[in-house]
Amino acid sequence: MRWLDKVRLRFRSLFRRPKIDVELEAELRFHLDQLVEENMASGMPPEEAHRAARRVIGGVAQWEEECRDMRRVNFVEDLAQDLRYTLRSLAKSPGFTVVVVATLALGIGANTAIFTVVHGVLLRPLDYPKPDQLMYLTAESPATAGAQYPLSAPEYLEFRQMNRSFATVGAYSTGGAAYTTGEVNLTAGDRPLRVRSISVDAQLLKALRIQPQHGRLFSDEETTRWTGTLPPPVAILSHELWRTAFGGQPLVGRTVEIEGRPHEIAGVMPPGADVMDNHTQIWLPLWIHPNGVQARGFHSLYIVARLKDGVNLDAARTELNAFVENWGERAGAKGHVPTNRPLRAADHTLQLRALQDATVGNATRPIWVLQAAVGFVLLIVCANLANLVMARAGSRRREFVLRTALGARRGRLLRQSVTESAVMSGAGGVLGLWLAGVVVRAIIRAYPASVPRMSELTVDLPILLVGFVLSAGTAVLFGLVSLPRGRTSSVAAALKEGAKCAGGAWRHHARRGLLAAQVAFAVMLVVGAGLLARTVYNLTKVDAGFERSRLVTFSMTLPMASSDPDTRAQAYQRVLDGIRAVPGVTGAAAMSGLPPNRNLEGIDTAIEHYTSGDGRPSEIVDYYQFVMGDYFGTMGIPIVAGRGFERSGYASQGKSAIVNETLAKRIWKGLNPIGRRVRPPGGVFGATGDGWHTVVGVAKDVRQRGVERPAGTELYFSLDQHGVSPPTMNVVMRTTMPPAALSGTIERVVREVDAAVPIVRLRDMDSVFAESIRRPRLLAQLLGAFAGLAMLLAAIGTYGVLSYMVTERRREIGVRVALGATPSRVIAQFMKQGLQVTALGAAIGLAGALAVNRLIASLLFGVHPADTATIASVIAVVLAVSAAASWVPAWRASRVDPNVVLRNE
Amino acid sequence: MAKPTDLVQGTLDLLILKTIAVEPKHGWAIAKRIQQVSRDALQVQQGSLYPALHRLEQQAWIKAEWRPAETGRMAKFYSLTRSGRKQMEKELANWVRLSAAINVVVQEV
Repeated sequence: MRWLDKVRLRFRSLFRRPKIDVELEAELRFHLDQLVEENMASGMPPEEAHRAARRVIGGVAQWEEECRDMRRVNFVEDLAQDLRYTLRSLAKSPGFTVVVVATLALGIGANTAIFTVVHGVLLRPLDYPKPDQLMYLTAESPATAGAQYPLSAPEYLEFRQMNRSFATVGAYSTGGAAYTTGEVNLTAGDRPLRVRSISVDAQLLKALRIQPQHGRLFSDEETTRWTGTLPPPVAILSHELWRTAFGGQPLVGRTVEIEGRPHEIAGVMPPGADVMDNHTQIWLPLWIHPNGVQARGFHSLYIVARLKDGVNLDAARTELNAFVENWGERAGAKGHVPTNRPLRAADHTLQLRALQDATVGNATRPIWVLQAAVGFVLLIVCANLANLVMARAGSRRREFVLRTALGARRGRLLRQSVTESAVMSGAGGVLGLWLAGVVVRAIIRAYPASVPRMSELTVDLPILLVGFVLSAGTAVLFGLVSLPRGRTSSVAAALKEGAKCAGGAWRHHARRGLLAAQVAFAVMLVVGAGLLARTVYNLTKVDAGFERSRLVTFSMTLPMASSDPDTRAQAYQRVLDGIRAVPGVTGAAAMSGLPPNRNLEGIDTAIEHYTSGDGRPSEIVDYYQFVMGDYFGTMGIPIVAGRGFERSGYASQGKSAIVNETLAKRIWKGLNPIGRRVRPPGGVFGATGDGWHTVVGVAKDVRQRGVERPAGTELYFSLDQHGVSPPTMNVVMRTTMPPAALSGTIERVVREVDAAVPIVRLRDMDSVFAESIRRPRLLAQLLGAFAGLAMLLAAIGTYGVLSYMVTERRREIGVRVALGATPSRVIAQFMKQGLQVTALGAAIGLAGALAVNRLIASLLFGVHPADTATIASVIAVVLAVSAAASWVPAWRASRVDPNVVLRNE
Repeated sequence: MAKPTDLVQGTLDLLILKTIAVEPKHGWAIAKRIQQVSRDALQVQQGSLYPALHRLEQQAWIKAEWRPAETGRMAKFYSLTRSGRKQMEKELANWVRLSAAINVVVQEV
């Protein structure tokens, strides 16, 4: 039981410390007395005997310490002592402590906050069983410049049949085939709600392996095999909607009104259940209209599929590519099938991606850019603190040397230093984590839907671990740099020289090197932030193709079940008439899609006397815009050729269409488009609608899918001519009044037409634009904040290093002033020192910025990654900040009074 | 007189264990005993003796008790424990092997 004895002994050593010390002293005194006795016995006089004995024994304290070390519990005791000492010494220099802890908290807080986003959005697997088996299938074609768009129903059904890689293949839609716009009117009690919807088939829920919290999911009979003319009247609520709108009451089997039709609640989803970050509140059954089964030109289905066990993404891709080789032959179809022939404008191919990548989409790069940026900030923090701590270590050199002389070993001093930095890092880390929580919550509140999966962010265990590792890493780093490099051999010299010779060439260069590094990182960040700020500025200045000021818009949906296309058209006409009568409104129109935030449609449109690149008499048109009233006049879209729609005389002239410039150029290639004819596919809007439409005018391009994207091809149809309307329309009015002032009037107008229809998203067009650039703006704001922080830290660093330099060289300055140096020369000397280091850092930073800015090129708009104006202004700012930070210590140097300094020495 | 040889690294433990194997001794007596037996060839520095004693005690190879010394004064006496005796045998065997090996090499050359 030796280990038991050992444990007992350790405990005794640790907790019976006073007794042990008394014993140790008695033991050593016994030895000393024996020695004295021996000496006396050999004839020495008593005093001589004592002296000799003491000489032999040497430092009793040192042995005692060694004996204690042998007891192996010193670690704990020293730690307690170190902590006590640390707290005392930090409390004695509160300024230093506050600066260090605050800087650390900012660095660690920023890093933890952004890592929370990285982890929550990019790294954390999706919340489905075996999420890495889930794949996302979309179409892509050169005509849409790499944009992903949905599949058509026949393609979905063929893929489901042909593939061998997938266990389950399901589809969802938020518009088109779903007969909704991704939102539905839900009547819960007496209040109509507008809720986000998704239409899914039974296969999709099976592929995701979602289990309902209450009730059941949809069956095949309610989705794929449904034969009715309207979707089956069942719905599943999200957990969140069930809690908020229905108070969590038992609801399964009850009936609610959705789009004016009674629906049975089949079930309630578990908390957080969603697809592709849709923020789904209500799940509806997706069924494919009998006409849609053959409609190859009508792309409206997104496909989610689960791989069979043991099949990987590459294998599935290979299989998909093989299908695409002869898809048409297999499916027995000639036109509009996926193909990978040498790509021509109308061809489209299929893209298979992991569902997780598809969900996050293009948010990946900005998030990593931010992570890199806060990484730089942390490096600057470290460099800054290293300088600060080094300066303090310099002034504490005397203390350390003295302790060495008194017998402290180097390892013991190192431990003391590391303890001090650990205490500060720990405090900084705790504060930083708190700060990260605050920042993350603020970002979520300010930008709830800008970044996918954002609402699910939490500061959880991996994040805490990262915060801890950051704190611990910085602690060790500072402990090391704060240890003076003096050797014990030079104790006497060091004590004599005191704090004066804290430097040495190594330290001097290290300090300037660290400062240059800070400036370099800061410059890289500021350049990046500058480029993104320019990007946001450019985005706000884009000519979207219409007059955006003094425009107010809202959206409304007339339930499909309780209305048919022509009564809807009449209802919308009444709404428009009512709004036109409002004082202060100079014009009103309605349209199916609200620029500039529309989705790509990609509708295969027949064109008379035309052969496309792949020999078809049709072309994919990116957007259809169905308008009512004087759309072009109200929006301020110039008609560049021909004329706009006219309210009267349709019957005599036949049906007309208007094209945009891009479409005119792409299809008729410089020939006059007026008088040519196009034919939309059947069933696109209302009950009628096919037939040839004559092009009567060309409208200026309007940015439809984000202001940063060039306009696609667009076809305008006048619903006034057809006398029909889709369920959902956007109303737009030209007015000098703000939306808030109009809301009461508009509500009254709409209520007179249909009391059960809510007004959705009433706002001015400027807000619509602001929303379309919210993500670049968020990125620019965050990066700007980090760059500002970096700049501030670099300025503090410059100030600190120069101040220290001035203190160190007071004597030299005194001599120079005594010999006749003017204050301005002294100022110039020190400012030169500061600016030299800044210039070096800025040069390195610029080189770095040019090297890495390629990585953010895809995030920029209208500005080159090596934009000279941005770089020049960044350099100007950095030099100005550095000059300001250098000036204060330089000025202090010029005020040195030689009398005082030289006398003190 | 030639300067007393410094103790070969690691042999101090063996010397201490061996010295107190016969009867418990205090630190002073251990030092004296080693010096005497080796005819002044080995001198144990106090600075190494006491840390070594504390280390051995902490390893539970020796145990200490306070009792009166020959002069009547209280002193800390160290004695071997059972595991200490085993440790001594082990180190002794090691030493014999090592010194024999060194002897062979030294005489060969």
